[in-house]
Amino acid sequence: MEERSGVPDGDFERFERFLDDWSRRDFLKRVGGAAAFASLSGGALAFLEACGGGGGGGSSSATTPKKGGHVTEGWAFDIKTFNSVLTQDVYSSLCIGMCLDPLLNSKANGDLVPYIAQEVPKVASDGNTYTFKLRKDVKWSDGQPLTSDDVLFTYNLIFAPEYAAVASPRRGDFTQHVANISAPDPYTFVVKTQTPYAPFLVTHGQYGIMPKHVLGSLAPAAINTADFNSAPMVTNGAFKFVRWDKGAQVVFTRNPNYYRGAPLLDQFVYKVVPNTTAVANQLKTGEIDAGQLDPSQVDSMRTEQSIGITGFAVPGFQFYMQNLDPSKPTGQIFQDLAVRQALYTAINRDGIVKTVLFGQGQVANSVEPPTSWAWNPNAKPVYKYDPSKANQMLDQAGWQKGSDGIRAKSGLKLQFTMLYSANSPVLSGIAQVMQENWKAIGVGLTNKEIQFSSLVTQITDTRDFDIILVGFNWTQDPDESQLFGSKGTARGGFNGFDFKNDQVDKLLSDATTTTDPAKRKQLYFQYQDLMNEQLPAPILYFNKFNYGVNKRVQNYGYGTFNQYGPRPWMKDVWVTDGK
Amino acid sequence: MAGYLARRLLWAIPVVFGVTLITFLLMHFTAGNYVPGLELNPNLKPSDVERIRENLGLDRPLIVQYLDWVGVGSIIQAVGLAGLLGGSHNIQPGLLEGNFGRSLIDGTPVLRDIIERLPNTIELTLTAIFLGAAISIPVGVVSALRRGSRLDQTVTAASVGGFAVPQFWLGLLLILLFSVQFHAWGLPWLPSGGATSPLGGGDVVDRLEHLVMPALVLAFFYLSTWSRFVRSSMIETLSQDYVRTARAKGMTDRRTVYVHALRNAVAPLVTLVGLELPGLVSGALVVEVVFGWPGIGLLAFQRAIQTDYTMVMGITTFAAILVVAGNLLADVLYAVVDPRVRYA
Repeated sequence: MEERSGVPDGDFERFERFLDDWSRRDFLKRVGGAAAFASLSGGALAFLEACGGGGGGGSSSATTPKKGGHVTEGWAFDIKTFNSVLTQDVYSSLCIGMCLDPLLNSKANGDLVPYIAQEVPKVASDGNTYTFKLRKDVKWSDGQPLTSDDVLFTYNLIFAPEYAAVASPRRGDFTQHVANISAPDPYTFVVKTQTPYAPFLVTHGQYGIMPKHVLGSLAPAAINTADFNSAPMVTNGAFKFVRWDKGAQVVFTRNPNYYRGAPLLDQFVYKVVPNTTAVANQLKTGEIDAGQLDPSQVDSMRTEQSIGITGFAVPGFQFYMQNLDPSKPTGQIFQDLAVRQALYTAINRDGIVKTVLFGQGQVANSVEPPTSWAWNPNAKPVYKYDPSKANQMLDQAGWQKGSDGIRAKSGLKLQFTMLYSANSPVLSGIAQVMQENWKAIGVGLTNKEIQFSSLVTQITDTRDFDIILVGFNWTQDPDESQLFGSKGTARGGFNGFDFKNDQVDKLLSDATTTTDPAKRKQLYFQYQDLMNEQLPAPILYFNKFNYGVNKRVQNYGYGTFNQYGPRPWMKDVWVTDGK
Repeated sequence: MAGYLARRLLWAIPVVFGVTLITFLLMHFTAGNYVPGLELNPNLKPSDVERIRENLGLDRPLIVQYLDWVGVGSIIQAVGLAGLLGGSHNIQPGLLEGNFGRSLIDGTPVLRDIIERLPNTIELTLTAIFLGAAISIPVGVVSALRRGSRLDQTVTAASVGGFAVPQFWLGLLLILLFSVQFHAWGLPWLPSGGATSPLGGGDVVDRLEHLVMPALVLAFFYLSTWSRFVRSSMIETLSQDYVRTARAKGMTDRRTVYVHALRNAVAPLVTLVGLELPGLVSGALVVEVVFGWPGIGLLAFQRAIQTDYTMVMGITTFAAILVVAGNLLADVLYAVVDPRVRYA
């Protein structure tokens, strides 16, 4: 409005003059100031709170553990269930482990320790019978004593035919190996396997025991949808469940009557965080006290004064499976051992660990993880990165380079498509390195990202792939029949690359049917040498996990085999500032 | 008006069912034989996978699964024709009976989860809409009054930028600045995600602290378009004859602008705001994911990745119903606000 009216209007004219001044000044400076002011007043409230709460800024690290306070652990995934036989993911296992104890638990190195059981049972002379003697001082949070009834009930969910409607992923393995289970008296639980099964205790001795007086009255199908699965109000573990705000956090509080001694912490919070970058951000701001670090964040987190870093090897790994099925296009090519060995020799696995994983991994020279007691550090043959040797091997096997630079033999070309899960920078990085490495030896590789769910369907069902790049996790037991045994080639199994080797089958079978650790170790050593020679699904590297923990938190003992599930060290965790 | 409303409502029904059918087909064709929630676990046997699929009813023909979910399945069962559907399976009440089914991941009722999370999303989007409107009106008016000045040009540039900036980028930037950096510099800082603090949170101040950044990011987008609209609407209104008449009659500038011109200029903004009503439920997905805001959008995103068929279908149906209702409401509001509009 350029004209002024005749009637004097002091306020409006003042406003007009103000606007004139404004357009002359640096607009951005004002906007910037306004934004800072807005954030300041928004954060002033936070500031006041922090001021009021911070007090004397407790930096002194006392060495005597103090009771009280809380720890918040951040994860990029929400949990799914509190039902110990239904759970399929490690995050749910973590939360279940906070409030439901199992018969046996694990130390960081994978050794079993007794929990509700008085001691780790030794198998009887028949090789099949395991007798668990239960502690008599374990109580549920509602005061009832925990007896073998509860243990029998929990195990019947994955064993008894009437509970077949319970959607447990453990029933298959359990019913295949176990003959019967019984509770002869209130503090004894007995399991008889059909034949000696060495992995039994490790595989099936660590389920959180659930209360029969809460779940026992439900129909089998109703157990899948029971309220207990999202709100376990009756528990027996170190912490009691308080609430689960779906998608946001799970809150636990101390169980003062815990049979192994009440925890020092008042509360524990499992916080759901948007993604792994947010985990790092929230560690820095102090919104969470502990969280797993992406390999790319480890170095930058080392510069944070308030965060300590723990790192350790884990039995997780990345590998690629080569489709050996003779009816599939690549089946003929991969039948040639020289091709498999040459391809593996040509991959710069050291380079992958250094660049894609930022060094947070260990190059694999065996199918067994270095964390396993059965690992053979000297498995042979060893494959060092050697492109010229790979070229030589392929030349000698008769694969000649064509005019397009791709090797071929009797009409078959060394050209493959590799599938892997989308949205993973690590997998994309590995795929790119492999593509370049193989180009140098005359092998063409096309990379294709697909959704994880489709990938799983490919591995277990459709199986019309050339190569699949995927990650896997072994458990504490060295048995690998699910992946490398010929039984896994059945529809639904993980041996989607059709690897059938009688010798491997025999070694794997013998190693699980003898319970003598020394004998098993010998068999696994032979097995590793054989797998190194055969290379059906060569392993690239084993992962290393890193966790950042705020320095105010003491005794946070993350370890390879007790980071998920019940944590024996959780009850001794304390915070220096008592908050 | 009544006939118009009736026709719109009749059209809404096939639209909603079309949405459900398309979602259903999309999910099943992209995920194949996948078992929801499956992790690659060395102890998992093929027999377990088969059994779990059967328990969840995923082994039935697609048409049966769809009819069951829609609720036609239980109607067919009620009239005794269950054999048509391959009989044995425990057929639950479906959509037509008001049952959205249970999540395939954790077995909780879908509708209960949606109702639990919906208020969070509404809180976020409503705040963003109010913020957007509250800021864009003064900005638009000032731009119009100072048309052509440097102030106006700067605001124009900022609007175009605001429209072009991706929400996730802006969100991440704000988190880095106002959470991580401010904390590192010792300044008062804003929480970087979630709706409340896990412990001892939940009061108004706590919720506001968590709401500021996500609402601002969401509002930024509205701001940029609405302020432009208010500006041009204001300019047009100020050139109307009645404004000149009012001034000629001796009315003060202030009264002319703020009492008469402003009201008429801003009234059409109601339409624009109304257009956002359908987006109240579905529009905040990106912001929710970036800030970990526990609303409907984040739930749908997480469950879609895990191929939780029933949850995703439940959410899209719920959102479809709300979108259709929102559209209808916006159209009705438009007629109410502007008496010149008549519906046949």
